[in-house]
Amino acid sequence: MAAHLSYGRVNLNVLREAVRRELREFLDKCAGSKAIVWDEYLTGPFGLIAQYSLLKEHEVEKMFTLKGSRLPAADVKNIIFFVRPRLELMDIIAENVLSEDRRGPARDFHILFVPRRSLLCEQRLKDLGVLGSFIHREEYSLDLIPFDGDLLSMESEGAFKQVANMMIRMKREFTGSQNSIFPVFDNLLLLDRNVDLLTPLATQLTYEGLIDEIYGIQNSYVKLPPEKFAPKKQGDGGKDLPTEAKKLQLNSAEELYAEIRDKNFNAVGSVLSKKAKVISAAFEERHNAKTVGEIKQFVSQLPHMQAARGSLANHTSIAELIKDVTTSEDFFDKLTVEQEFMSGIDTDKVNSYVEECIAQKHPLIKVLRLVCLQSVCNSGLKQKVLDYYKREILQTYGYEHILTLHNLEKAGLLKPQLGGRNNYPTIRKTLRLWMDDVNEQNPTDISYVYSGYAPLSVRLAQLLSRPGWRSIEEVLRILPGPHFEERQPLPTGLQKKRQPGENRITLIFFLGGVTFAEIAALRFLSQLEDGGTEYVIATTKLMNGASWIESLMEKPF
Amino acid sequence: MDCYTANWNPLGDSAFYRKYELYSMDWDLKEELRDCLVAAAPYGGPIALLRNPWRKEKAASVRPVLEIYSASGMPLASLLWKSGPVVSLGWSAEEELLCVQEDGVVLVYGLHGDFRRHFSMGNEVLQNRVLDARIFHTEFGSGVAILTGAHRFTLSANVGDLKLRRMPEVPGLQSAPSCWTTLCQDRVAHILLAVGPDLYLLDHAACSSVTPPGLAPGVSSFLQMAVSFTYRHLALFTDTGYIWMGTTSLKEKLCEFNCNIRAPPKQMVWCSRPRSKERAVVVAWERRLMVVGDAPESIQFVLDEDSYLVPELDGVRIFSRSTHEFLHEVPVASEEIFKIASMAPGALLLEAQKEYEKESQKADEYLREIQELGQLTQAVQQCIEAAGHEHRPDMQKSLLRAASFGKCFLDRFPPDSFVRMCQDLRVLNAVRDYHIGIPLTYSQYKQLTIQVLLDRLVLRRLYPLAIQICEYLRLPEVQGVSRILAHWACYKVQQKDVSDEDVARAINQKLGDTPGVSYSDIAARAYGCGRTELAIKLLEYEPRSGEQVPLLLKMKRSKLALSKAIESGDTDLVFTVLLHLKNELNRGDFFMTLRNQPMALSLYRQFCKYQELETLKDLYNQDDNHQELGSFHIRASYAAEERIEGRVAALQTAADAFYKAKNEFAAKATEDQMRLLRLQRRLEDELGGRFLDLSLHDTVTTLILGGHNKRAEQLARDFRIPDKRLWWLKLTALADLEDWEELEKFSKSKKSPIGYLVRQGPSLHPIPPSGE
Repeated sequence: MAAHLSYGRVNLNVLREAVRRELREFLDKCAGSKAIVWDEYLTGPFGLIAQYSLLKEHEVEKMFTLKGSRLPAADVKNIIFFVRPRLELMDIIAENVLSEDRRGPARDFHILFVPRRSLLCEQRLKDLGVLGSFIHREEYSLDLIPFDGDLLSMESEGAFKQVANMMIRMKREFTGSQNSIFPVFDNLLLLDRNVDLLTPLATQLTYEGLIDEIYGIQNSYVKLPPEKFAPKKQGDGGKDLPTEAKKLQLNSAEELYAEIRDKNFNAVGSVLSKKAKVISAAFEERHNAKTVGEIKQFVSQLPHMQAARGSLANHTSIAELIKDVTTSEDFFDKLTVEQEFMSGIDTDKVNSYVEECIAQKHPLIKVLRLVCLQSVCNSGLKQKVLDYYKREILQTYGYEHILTLHNLEKAGLLKPQLGGRNNYPTIRKTLRLWMDDVNEQNPTDISYVYSGYAPLSVRLAQLLSRPGWRSIEEVLRILPGPHFEERQPLPTGLQKKRQPGENRITLIFFLGGVTFAEIAALRFLSQLEDGGTEYVIATTKLMNGASWIESLMEKPF
Repeated sequence: MDCYTANWNPLGDSAFYRKYELYSMDWDLKEELRDCLVAAAPYGGPIALLRNPWRKEKAASVRPVLEIYSASGMPLASLLWKSGPVVSLGWSAEEELLCVQEDGVVLVYGLHGDFRRHFSMGNEVLQNRVLDARIFHTEFGSGVAILTGAHRFTLSANVGDLKLRRMPEVPGLQSAPSCWTTLCQDRVAHILLAVGPDLYLLDHAACSSVTPPGLAPGVSSFLQMAVSFTYRHLALFTDTGYIWMGTTSLKEKLCEFNCNIRAPPKQMVWCSRPRSKERAVVVAWERRLMVVGDAPESIQFVLDEDSYLVPELDGVRIFSRSTHEFLHEVPVASEEIFKIASMAPGALLLEAQKEYEKESQKADEYLREIQELGQLTQAVQQCIEAAGHEHRPDMQKSLLRAASFGKCFLDRFPPDSFVRMCQDLRVLNAVRDYHIGIPLTYSQYKQLTIQVLLDRLVLRRLYPLAIQICEYLRLPEVQGVSRILAHWACYKVQQKDVSDEDVARAINQKLGDTPGVSYSDIAARAYGCGRTELAIKLLEYEPRSGEQVPLLLKMKRSKLALSKAIESGDTDLVFTVLLHLKNELNRGDFFMTLRNQPMALSLYRQFCKYQELETLKDLYNQDDNHQELGSFHIRASYAAEERIEGRVAALQTAADAFYKAKNEFAAKATEDQMRLLRLQRRLEDELGGRFLDLSLHDTVTTLILGGHNKRAEQLARDFRIPDKRLWWLKLTALADLEDWEELEKFSKSKKSPIGYLVRQGPSLHPIPPSGE
């Protein structure tokens, strides 16, 4: 069921099993039939660790979404609230509990805080007079959810705003844990998103990255327009096209997806057509099967082949959907502008494409993303340019966005150039962020994930493993935030001997989010034969430019 | 070895009983035991003595002394009794001494004579006084049963969770029962009492008369009754010198015995062991001790001194002024090995090993004999088991040596039983040492578990030994060493004669960073003893800041708590302290405190954003943060006001704030917004339709779509919309209207700043933006 988690060098399935066990233990504490009231936000992450069947085994009979007034009727003994520790949710819970008390038989209430129990929330419940109603109040530390064999995420919303807090908290947790456990990781690299504001703003060009950019991947699921997935039957004439979005789970458990997810989109087509040939050849085999034994062998392979064919069909459809977008003129124009910015062309002037986008009222997120990209690639915009953009945006999209603009400025995504110095070219050259000769089919450098731009964050990781950061000290000084290295001495008994040819494992923790393209670039580095380092990636949130900007937007009405 | 069985006494055909000395007591008893109230805790526990002056007619003027000794007679505590008359003493399962006073108040003392707490057994008891009391043990803990002057019973099954139960009345009871005891059946405590020839059983609902099956006739009174350690068996001693033994349920008789002694015995207790062959009762008189069971003859011992019996799980302890002995049924394994002329495999193996040491070939003969019968494994097991039941280390050793010898000839004998026995015996021998004075037998030790034994060592403040045992047994640190160190530290903080610095340093030196030790728990204890400064010092050593905060708050060191909370990085903790501070300080001081803590301030701002908007404004005001103040008023303009005037006023405040923040752009933009709002209002009035809260761009578009081109032009000019955008806007709007004539006119009117001709295709409609 979750085999794809154990493929990696570090078996992350252990983590999943641990959180599952914890969940079962909690459920068993509340004896009898149960209903779970969900904080809607949590359903996605929970889906990754436990299916409904697991809950059902532990007598969960009903599930509701947390909302005001009274709870829907349910004939159960226990009502368990699964919530994030937030005050506004406590108010709703109190309302639920109070209205429940007034009617019917007494129930047992429990509350499970995810990921942390909060004194503040309990105080609020106490103030509202319902704290005593809860028999079990516990926390469920669903901190890092395993997404894939090498990917963990905390999936906490508003991640960027709390980077500072998290950083401190994480540090504490890492130092607090006892190191009498056999160390799995050789290095831990903590990367604050502040160091690399640029990468998420650019459009990801890997297969997975593009799916995320265009359709948005939520907790490893994507919802796609259904038309392309209609079962093709002759004579049907497309009469009853499914109207509900097609929901697909995307992870390395799917063989084909594992192969193409991290490829540049331009390299996906050839793989798909090659696969198609292999599969149809395999199906053709049946004509060659003469003896009963041969037929039996063929039949035994059928389920696997059919699964492969289904998977191929799905991904061919997805690729077609994406291709419709990527071949559009506007996509091309946008990409051209992005690439111009990243390679340092005309970043100090008002860009006419951006102007056009505003004039035509393209989605605000797209506009903000471009403007922020330009600002970051120019170490801030000239005051005149900045004011022009801001004015244009306010006039076109409404004055209320002055709050959003202010948030972007606070985050450093949008800022006036200070001291008239543009540092970006230095950074770009030293770190080789722009590569002119990109091989999208058989990449030789991480820059393939953005067809030219090498993600800064990953480049830093790459340089850290070889030759070390000493070579780039000057750039590090320009980059925001302090950097520090710390060695954790291990008791000699725990030091393991590395087998020849065995790579070091680095846990790279992106505080403030990571994009699929960055993950692809890191996987590319892991696979390099002379790379010497394999990466396991952890993050506070899987994100892309759009979701990032959106988290900073503020709508007062 | 012939002499080894010299102290074995047969009872009937099947079982032997032996009595051996645990300690020779050199306690300096000032009083005779018979003049004292005595309480001895089971499992080799401590002995408490209180000279009983209240029994005599004339109350003595001197205050009695309560003395506590270890089982080996080492003094643990001695204190002058200053409270009221005591009726009964007893030890709880946690080794706390319960002293039941005549007025029904129970005083609880620690092992070292430290007063812990007291509780009362209720008003009824207070009024009628306590006539007699028993402390008994159940699986829930320790209970107290009281017989009052009104001949009623009150009991509590667990003194840790005091629930008083008044038992029903015995009909027609005029005098005190001749004897009584508590029983525990089906997890409920009952009372069995004897009045003349009748027995009554009291449960919490009713009083029922009971008759033991097969009781000999002619009984006119019961003098003594005894319940076994596990509450399974009952023995009754009658005035005819007849002893009835049976099950507690009174459904079955085991046996009976007539000792022909009519004098009431001083004590009567059961002496059996789990899975024992024989069930026997030990009866003690002034100078005589008798073991009776299902046999025509009894075993008799002469008591040289005034003695006291302590029933144990697997035997009886007997102590007197000079000795402390243990009487028990010889366990099966020992019997098999040591019985005279035994041919049991274990006996042969022991013999073989002895011959081997003598370098005699007989060793081989014995060994062959065992092997031929295929009983070597059994022999080894027997030797190991028997070693466990030996009190003397030299006997333990010789049995273990035999087992080890036999093991050599076995292929696959799992070593753990042997190793564990060696370890257990080492622990047992260590705690049996008379300095420690816990004479546990192997069976008792297994029943008690190592964890409880460690607790008991800690209770006796024998920290070094406890730690040595943990290390020797390789117990996990959290359960073992750390726990004991923490207990030690908690004891240490109570030493008031040592300075705070010294205590803190001593504790830190010992504990260091031992995992699993909670400095905050120790600090809490220090605070409990009134040593706040010491508590703060100890908290400094606590690595988890999160643990420091709650205690600091409790000690009213809120500001220190705040900085610790911030260090912890736990936002929840910071909030907790902040809300605490907010209630504690006045607003001004609170804000000042925040000002010095930037992180707390920013967190508090976040909190206010959702919970207390007005406070947020005050905070910004105090900090002269005009930029945020401006944003605040912008938000307010949307949230609070419905009327246009109110909104404009809020925006004006915002604009003023932006000016103060030197953010000219934002100020101008806000002024533009005010202008636009007013204008939109006018448009709505004049033209109808909805304009409010449309963007400027959309306002112009709406005007064009409504055919108000002039007004649109005017608006664009007023707000200085750049030409380029205006062209796009018009183009889009006119295309939407499909007003091709106007479009053509427009296209010819001026040179296009956007070069739309390039895009002229089959339709003039600009490419729709993607995603819409």
